[in-house]
Amino acid sequence: MKAVETFNLTKHYSRGKVKALNDFSLQVETGQIFSLLGPNGAGKTTFIKLLVGLAHPTAGHATVFGKSIKNYKMHQHIGYLSENHRFPEFLTAAQVLYYYGKMSGVSSSDLKDRIPKLLKQVNLTDWTNVKIQKYSKGMMQRLGLANALIPDPDILFLDEPTDGIDPVGRREIRDLLKALREQGKTVFLNSHLLSEVERVSDEVAILKNGKLLQKGRVEDFISVKEQYQVKVISENNKINEISEKLSIPVSYQNEFYNIAVQDDAHLNKFIDSVRRESITIQAIIPRKISLEDFFIDVIEDKNGEVK
Amino acid sequence: MKFLSIVQLTFRESLAKKTFIAFFGISTLTCLLFIFALNLDIVDGMQSSVSLFGAEIPATFDLREIIINIQSAVAALLFTGGIFMSLFATSSLIPTLLQPGFIDLFISKPVSRLEILTGRFIGATLIVACNILYLMIFSAIILLFKTGIWNWSYIVAGFIIVITFMILYTLMTFLSLLTKSGPFSLMLTYFIVFMSPLLIPRDQIYALLSSKVYAYILDGLYYFLPKTTELGNLTRLIVGGQEITSWMPLWSSLLFALFILSVSTYIFQRKNF
Ligand SMILES: Nc1ncnc2c1ncn2[C@@H]1O[C@H](COP(=O)(O)OP(=O)(O)OP(=O)(O)O)[C@@H](O)[C@H]1O
Ligand SMILES: [Mg+2]
Repeated sequence: MKAVETFNLTKHYSRGKVKALNDFSLQVETGQIFSLLGPNGAGKTTFIKLLVGLAHPTAGHATVFGKSIKNYKMHQHIGYLSENHRFPEFLTAAQVLYYYGKMSGVSSSDLKDRIPKLLKQVNLTDWTNVKIQKYSKGMMQRLGLANALIPDPDILFLDEPTDGIDPVGRREIRDLLKALREQGKTVFLNSHLLSEVERVSDEVAILKNGKLLQKGRVEDFISVKEQYQVKVISENNKINEISEKLSIPVSYQNEFYNIAVQDDAHLNKFIDSVRRESITIQAIIPRKISLEDFFIDVIEDKNGEVK
Repeated sequence: MKFLSIVQLTFRESLAKKTFIAFFGISTLTCLLFIFALNLDIVDGMQSSVSLFGAEIPATFDLREIIINIQSAVAALLFTGGIFMSLFATSSLIPTLLQPGFIDLFISKPVSRLEILTGRFIGATLIVACNILYLMIFSAIILLFKTGIWNWSYIVAGFIIVITFMILYTLMTFLSLLTKSGPFSLMLTYFIVFMSPLLIPRDQIYALLSSKVYAYILDGLYYFLPKTTELGNLTRLIVGGQEITSWMPLWSSLLFALFILSVSTYIFQRKNF
């Protein structure tokens, strides 16, 4: 079963003047970390809001684990971290998790052991009984994450989860998300931090002006076909000669030779020739571009196409 | 239970507001005043003297009548000042609920929007009921100890006051949903409370109207709007144990509340956040 499936999901605001989401059809597999990327105002938050029932679609429909988003009861499988969550300021972290945990339908006895565990997971143990008035932005974000996790959800919708969190905290969250994936949970992320998305996501979709531009596996997006980085013991003119003979474009950069071959056989011919010259190959790595480069390419490329 | 947690949270949120603490303080002070300032000397089941702040009240009154007068005064105080303070203190609850980032926490949980709105509404009513009934029951008990007289009607009147608050609070909930502003909804609610009594002598206005249609409109408006003044009178009659000639103000106001609450729920269901 798909974790999320949307069918021409459309959301207009201000009587159609703002087309926040347009005919958006998407499928998210269960057990993945899926990231939705896009520039400001692309419609990422709108998409999550439709899925968790905060806004009603103008057209189209969607399901989460096969259940219609129109039915609020399916929220018991959902953990949600909103872009700008605001908890009642007079409560402590433990009280926040108690009340909202109850609202999620978790029993008191379950809450009793789940709350300390969750607070430990998001590194707020020392703040358990401190009123959240005194929290910093990053601490609020951690608490928001704990709140999303309190019903032990099957899917998490996280809108900019690492917003305001320091580098160490971001790594902790990344590890947490990976651990959740290990447990078979699905994670749906909205994020601008592409280096982070690149590290954790299985799949990404790129959204602009409410339209889907690209969707696919991160691996496929960032690896460049038939280009490799070759590392040898030291810079060697012979490599240039061999490349020329095999008509392989080559460049040297940061101790790596970047080569572009036609196919696998071509690559192996290159390797054979290098070995024949008794040059020691230390590494051959498929060349990758960063997700950021890919993202900017996609966004700028389709600039003219999309209204 | 999920619904209960919404009520509980609303209750706590109200407690965190200073207004309710002030309300509670005033109630306690009133009761202390009864304990220390009201002196009733009872001899052989008859009062020989009654004094308030040391000044003797002529003992020509029947004791029961005095008690009823005191209770009527408390009820009148609660009906005006008490309800006003309660509306003031609860005016921000619905606008707060609607705030971006706050509403998200509720709607993303497995609770219906109906439960969220009514949970909030009941939470607000509950804390007001606690405050009002605290003063009424506490003062009734003090008077019982001092005089041996227990007046059930006084407690019943307490419930009428709470119901009046509820009726006005549905109006405020509705206005808050439309305007998202607590102070504005409070003002508008009070405007309606103060203007609606003008419709009571509508018989006299009819003569001035050019067409009978206006008379129907005024009549309709009168029966539609909550009848705060009449409910105040009703409360007074109940405390005094007098005969109630018409319950119409109560049930028609309750119908108004039900209608407004349904409309509010409909609006809330359809809202995008
Ligand atoms: N309640 C609303 N009323 C009118 N327009 C809205 C509303 N909410 C969002 N929009 C518009 O919808 C579009 C998409 O907004 P959305 O918040 O989904 O973007 P986003 O991709 O999350 O952006 P960001 O990266 O800045 O968070 C924007 O043009 C925004 O102005
Ligand atoms: Mg956003």
